[in-house]
Amino acid sequence: MELIREAQAGSRAAFDALVRQYEQQVLRLALHLTGSEHDAEDIYQEAFLKAFRYIGNFRFECSFYTWIYRIVTNLCLDQLRRKKTRREDQAVVVDQSGDEIDMLASVSDNRSFSNPAKELDRKVLGDRIQAALSKLTPRERMVFELKHYQGLRLRTIGEMLNTTEETAKNTLFRATKKLRTQLAGLR
Amino acid sequence: MNCELAHERIVLAAYGELPDEQVHELDRHLAACTDCSQEREQLLALKTLAKAYPVVEPDPNFVARSRMRLEESLDALPPKRWYERLGQRITNNFANLQAAPAGVVLLLIVGAGAGTLGGYEYAAARTAHNATAAAASQSKITAQPSDTPTEIANISSIEREPNSEIIHVTYNQLVPQHIQGSLDDPSIRQLLMLASENATSQGVRDDSVGLLAAECRAGHACQGEGIRDALMVALRYDKSEAVREKALEGLQPYVAEDMRVRDAVLEALLNDSDPRIRTAAISVLEPVEADTSVRQVLSTVANSDHNPHIRTVSRQVLSRAPVIQ
Repeated sequence: MELIREAQAGSRAAFDALVRQYEQQVLRLALHLTGSEHDAEDIYQEAFLKAFRYIGNFRFECSFYTWIYRIVTNLCLDQLRRKKTRREDQAVVVDQSGDEIDMLASVSDNRSFSNPAKELDRKVLGDRIQAALSKLTPRERMVFELKHYQGLRLRTIGEMLNTTEETAKNTLFRATKKLRTQLAGLR
Repeated sequence: MNCELAHERIVLAAYGELPDEQVHELDRHLAACTDCSQEREQLLALKTLAKAYPVVEPDPNFVARSRMRLEESLDALPPKRWYERLGQRITNNFANLQAAPAGVVLLLIVGAGAGTLGGYEYAAARTAHNATAAAASQSKITAQPSDTPTEIANISSIEREPNSEIIHVTYNQLVPQHIQGSLDDPSIRQLLMLASENATSQGVRDDSVGLLAAECRAGHACQGEGIRDALMVALRYDKSEAVREKALEGLQPYVAEDMRVRDAVLEALLNDSDPRIRTAAISVLEPVEADTSVRQVLSTVANSDHNPHIRTVSRQVLSRAPVIQ
């Protein structure tokens, strides 16, 4: 708490200490979500610059970890959305809760996975998983990432994404359903 | 339970988010429904598959490169101008005052009241006269002599005279005061809560958190007045182990009924730097050790905590959980 207060009072050394405390987690999340060191570094950069600029607004109502993660997840969502809009032949609709639904991603595509007997090494399998994850909507991708890979509670995920626990739960449900369809041939 | 609901609950159960009573209900449904059983197997298979794209720790060179670039960007930011710094200080002070509005109002009322009544001597005489008759619920306040150094609370306005170097600054001062009263007195409680967060002296924070924690343990109206929140903030952020330990003790009675308290204790178990507090957190969690989220955290600690004693204690608690269920 002292460190945060000192950083709020303008201490650069205190802010640097906070950066060192959280940078590993921030980079790990951004790297796994974007799959690119370049994008992860940009997100890291922008997240901590924002944190530096707005640390005075931190009110200790949640943990600092949740606050910094909220900034990072917003930047990652922007990045995932930009990637999505660059993708060709995509049909995206917005559902009632404001979530994007990728119509194509929900259609099963077994062509490339039609030979289950083929032995896939871990690298190829990892690429397939990454490809399936990239077909989720940015929000689904984010909820799945935070729950499955980062092990956060749905309530915390809801707080980070400015939504309710119930919406986070439904988004996780949709994400797992889509992933199962995408990866059906791999089991 | 219908199959659609079961499918949703299978996902929640797989990620440790399903309440225990619903887990039993789901198990009963799965025992009787082949389709839903397959659904669960498919989901577990997905979880296994997803491990093929693991989360990797960033390369140290990559971390160092990113930090260097960040430091360059921070260095390149123009230094904040004096009015920006002042604005920030005012905002921070205001936020601090916001954290205990009743305390602030109390201080202002006290200042105005003491002045109206004719100053320190009258107030002191009145306090002395009433001291012996002070009831537990009645708090007494005295002002310090007027030559006592005061602190600036906030700046109300700043104006510069046109074409001159003269600046008019309107500000409010905090006048040192003394108050006495029962622990049940809301004014005393507000001040203790303020002290638990803002006191620069560890001793003051220790005393205030200790008193608030004792109130909570004794079950004296520890809800709805922010005392629990103050203890959770102390547990999460206070740099003194003694203060965090007292906060944890104060939160113990509420770990079963308040999910926010449970989350704060789980965070302490995972992240606190002091092994004694992590061990104490395990004991605090014992009444709810059968809860899914608690079991998940205990299992993480049992497998990966660097302290062997904590790993052993977590395993012991985990091994007792099914018996309790």
